[in-house]
Amino acid sequence: MDELLLSKVRLGVVAELLNYEWVAFTELARALDVSNGNLGAHIGKLVEAGYVDEEKSFVNRRPLTRYRLTKRGRDAFTGHVLQLEAILKAAR
Amino acid sequence: MDSSEARDHIEMVDRILAESHQRLCSGGEYFVVWGIGSALVTVLFQLVNGGTVPLPALWLVPAVLAACAIFSLIRGGVNQRVLRRSSLVQREFFNVLWLTLGLALIVNLAVFRIFTGTASAAIWSVAEAIVLLYIGMHGNRRAQIAGVLVVVSLIAANFSPPNVTGYVLAAGMLAGYAGFGVSELLARD
Repeated sequence: MDELLLSKVRLGVVAELLNYEWVAFTELARALDVSNGNLGAHIGKLVEAGYVDEEKSFVNRRPLTRYRLTKRGRDAFTGHVLQLEAILKAAR
Repeated sequence: MDSSEARDHIEMVDRILAESHQRLCSGGEYFVVWGIGSALVTVLFQLVNGGTVPLPALWLVPAVLAACAIFSLIRGGVNQRVLRRSSLVQREFFNVLWLTLGLALIVNLAVFRIFTGTASAAIWSVAEAIVLLYIGMHGNRRAQIAGVLVVVSLIAANFSPPNVTGYVLAAGMLAGYAGFGVSELLARD
C-alpha cells in the first residue's frame, strides 16, 4: 500500500484534487474540515513526494495557494484505492 | 490496515468523488454575454434583410462580436486568478466553447458569401446548440433543456415566414444560451 495515502487527510486531499484542474488551499481545508496547520503539514508531504504541485500567487494583495494533482499522484491514488478494495474483498 | 479502516477510507473517497461538481464553477456570464450578442447580431441581419436598417449597419456585427470577445478575455483572466477551484470538466467546456464559437466567428466574418443573411445567423444557433448539448452530456440538465430550446428555435425558424426568421433564431439564443447563463449564475454556490 502507498504509505503516504494511509493518512485519511492526505487521501482526502488527493481525492478532492482528482476531478479538478486545481483547488485553493482554503477550499481544501473547508471541504475536508481540517485546520490550516494540519492541512499544511499533510500537503507538504504530498508536495515533497511529487503527488501534488503547489502554486503560490497574490490576488488583491492576499496570498492564494492552489494545488493540482500530478500524474504520479493520480497513479498512486489509483493503485492505493485498488488495494483498499482488495482488502475489503478479502474480508468478505 | 484492517477491513473496517479500509471501508472507512473508501467511503470517504466515494463521498468526495460524488460531491465533485460535474458542472460549471463559473461561466454563466459568458453565456449571457454571447447569447445577447449573437441575438443582437441575428436581429440586425433580419432588419438589414428586411430593409428596415441600411446595409452599412452590418458593420456593427464585428463590433458586437469583438465586445463579446474582449469581455470574455478580461473576465477569463480575472476568474483564473480569483476562483478557488477549477474542474477538469470546466476546462473541457471552455475548450469546446471557444472552438465552436471561434468557427462560428470565422463563418460570420469570412464565409458570408456562402452563408448569407439569416444563414449566417443560424450558424450561431448551431454553434450554441453544440456547446449546450456538450455540457448537457456531462449531466447538466439545464444545459440539455437550453440546447433543445436552441435546436427547436432553429427548426421553428426554418418553417417561419422569412420576415420573422431572424427573430425566432434570436429568441432561441436569448432563451437557450443567455437563459442557460442566467440559470448558471443563479445556481452558483
